[in-house]
Amino acid sequence: MANNVVAAENTKKQFIVVKIGSEQYGIDISYVDNIVRMQKITRVPKVQPYFKGIINLRGEIVPVMSIRTKMDLEPDEFTDVTRIIILKLEEHGVLGIVVDEVKEVVTLAPDEIDKVAYDAKNSKSNFINGVGKHGEELISLFDTNSIIDEPELV
Amino acid sequence: MDVSQYLEIFIDETNGHLQNLSDCIMTLEKEPENMDTINEIFRAAHSLKGMAGTMGFKRMQRLTHDMENVFQEVRSGNMNVTSGLVDVLFQCLDAIEAYLDNVKESSDEGTDDNEAIIQELNEILAAGTGNAVPEKKEKAPVKQQGDEKYPNKYQDIEFSEKEKEELKEAENKGMNIYGITVFIQEECLLKAARAFLVFKAVEDFGNIIVYNPSSQDIEDEKFGVDFSFYLVSEEGLDKILEVSKAVSEIEEVVGEKVKYSELTAAAEKKEAAQAAKAAEEKAVPAIAAQVKQAPAAAKKANGGKPVTNRTVRVDIEKLDALMNQVSELIIAKNSLVSIGSNSDGGTSGASSQAFHEQIEYLERITTGLHESVMKVRMVPIESVVQKFPRMIRDLSKKLDKKMELFMTGEDTELDRTVVDQIGDPLQHLLRNSADHGLESTETRRKRGKPEVGSIHLNAFQEGNNVIIEVSDDGNGIDTETVKEKAIERGLITPEQAESLSQKEIIDFLFMPSFSMAKKISDISGRGVGLDVVKSNIEALGGDVEVKSILGEGSKFIVRLPLTLAIIQALMVEVRGEKYAISLGSIETIEEISPDEIKFVQAKEVIHIRGIVIPLIRLDQLLDCEPEDTERESLTVIIVRKGDKVAGLIVDELNGQQEIVIKSLGKYINNSSKIISGATVLGDGEVALILDVNTLF
Repeated sequence: MANNVVAAENTKKQFIVVKIGSEQYGIDISYVDNIVRMQKITRVPKVQPYFKGIINLRGEIVPVMSIRTKMDLEPDEFTDVTRIIILKLEEHGVLGIVVDEVKEVVTLAPDEIDKVAYDAKNSKSNFINGVGKHGEELISLFDTNSIIDEPELV
Repeated sequence: MDVSQYLEIFIDETNGHLQNLSDCIMTLEKEPENMDTINEIFRAAHSLKGMAGTMGFKRMQRLTHDMENVFQEVRSGNMNVTSGLVDVLFQCLDAIEAYLDNVKESSDEGTDDNEAIIQELNEILAAGTGNAVPEKKEKAPVKQQGDEKYPNKYQDIEFSEKEKEELKEAENKGMNIYGITVFIQEECLLKAARAFLVFKAVEDFGNIIVYNPSSQDIEDEKFGVDFSFYLVSEEGLDKILEVSKAVSEIEEVVGEKVKYSELTAAAEKKEAAQAAKAAEEKAVPAIAAQVKQAPAAAKKANGGKPVTNRTVRVDIEKLDALMNQVSELIIAKNSLVSIGSNSDGGTSGASSQAFHEQIEYLERITTGLHESVMKVRMVPIESVVQKFPRMIRDLSKKLDKKMELFMTGEDTELDRTVVDQIGDPLQHLLRNSADHGLESTETRRKRGKPEVGSIHLNAFQEGNNVIIEVSDDGNGIDTETVKEKAIERGLITPEQAESLSQKEIIDFLFMPSFSMAKKISDISGRGVGLDVVKSNIEALGGDVEVKSILGEGSKFIVRLPLTLAIIQALMVEVRGEKYAISLGSIETIEEISPDEIKFVQAKEVIHIRGIVIPLIRLDQLLDCEPEDTERESLTVIIVRKGDKVAGLIVDELNGQQEIVIKSLGKYINNSSKIISGATVLGDGEVALILDVNTLF
């Protein structure tokens, strides 16, 4: 029994909870490099429509993606609480995604996460690989790799 | 023997020697009597043999040994250089290169003995010198077999006058001279200590006259796993070998009794080679001689190995790190410049002036620093193109066409990363010229052209680009045939073909698997050619263009960016968005009124100083919001690529700036390639870099 408890402790994961539209989403904290305030995004012509452009993050050029556009939601509205979450992925470098609001950091144990089956018809669910239960609230957990993946269609 | 740590140096040096040999043999083919060249070849072959032996590559050693033998005879005038010999020598080089490739991949030379080549070498040797030599040949390999693992390195030792005296004296006294090489086990940790024990043991029997490496180096452990020395002693050789081997962690000791006369004969041979070199050096002016003194001395110390320029090998990653830091510095400087220009009026006059002076000073330093770092990364394309004359020679024999390669601008410098990757595409273009471009000797004669076809490779700098042209005086591209082929393959309809321009037709040649060769040869014609050339060059940020006149020849023009990191750029604004255009491609800037715009084939053009220039509205090109009202005057930037020009209409000019090119990253699918990167401006804002080469 004791062993099981330790193992469960180890596999607990931390997620940054963000708001996009009316829903709450969780991003695995191990992928998050930084959270920055909204700043001027330089538009880059002739690229995928869900790329808002690029920003200057301490001298580095970081591409910024609109997760709303990618998930076919209504376009972003920038407010005081809009943030850019900088994701760091080993082989691909850094990438920013725009979120409406950053709320908190939660720790979820494996038994608090329900896996979600893949549904080809629902484009939104393709980015989600689980649903976390945090108290009364439900948090959709982003599959970080599918966010950055190129959709093969079009 | 553990020699892995020297493997890299070995590969580098062998490459150098091979190239040297190849060049010399080419020269030799033209001037068979050139003694300097023969000496040079002899030296290179000798060094190769020595290095291969040290590294334990027996097959390579044997091959180079036989080459050396041949040159020994040529040098002493017993043999003449024939074209047959040159052919075999080139085969030898190829074989050595094959060994080297194996070494690069697996740290092992492979198992090909190249008996056929060695046989041929020996036959030439026998035929050239009569019967005396084959006997000697018999002896050589046998002797080598015995010492393969533990070569008698003491033979390489050179003597000073004093040492010679001592040896001579000792021999006169009836003492024995022994040459001894000791191999220490590779896992031995205290090599110097073991060496000391060996010396101590043998010195009970006699005196050590010469050490190699020097006794100081041995003490400091500056040696591999072996060291050699000459000992004079009254004791027998066996006894001495026995006591040496008795020292623990000694792997093997090889030794031999030698005679003074043999030693000096060997030494004289070496000296003769050096004397020739020295004579060469004397010929150059005094200042140069002084400069050369140091390398010449070094040459003596490491036993006749050619010494290259005084260089330091630096990992390219370290250079990149340095480059990045310089980039940061330039960005910081640019911020200071923009602060300086903003705070003009407010601050007190004197301090503001001092500030500006310091900024200017900083600007000079950063520009200088940037140039130096860039220069470090620049290497002449020579290292790539120098193998081409040999290639053309081989192709000439293979294709049975007479041709000659003329090269200019080998000293043109390019960024290291570009130079490393430009070899294959250029090689391909040359093969293409040799195989498809040039007609057969017979046809050439009929057409009244010189029998020997010429291929030119010219490299030069043009603005921020380096141009490499590969041209031939062959048949040129027959656009009709290309057209037919394209129709045949269903790429276009005959109707479409009619309206295609010359350039569009030639572009078909760059399509994947579009080969014009009537039959497939192993030189070209498989259709994996020009498309690979094009994509390779484009990957380097360059492009390739073709000009061809049927019956007169064709010319492939490769354009490559000089640097990949920092450029001088003109900053422009389009609808409030900032873009940078490389200064290198800008010709002039014009102010025009909208009335001056004319239409040709429904496209906007302007007519300036006798030239009709097509206009590109950047706001439309870059999908900006259209403007409500047409402006009263338009700013047009005239850009050039080769002999083509275009005018870019922008809203505003923001001056010239040194910018650091940064990649947009892998996420952004930048397939149109109009934007070649981004840069961070002094005020932290991001500007995109327009690649005007894509607009043509």
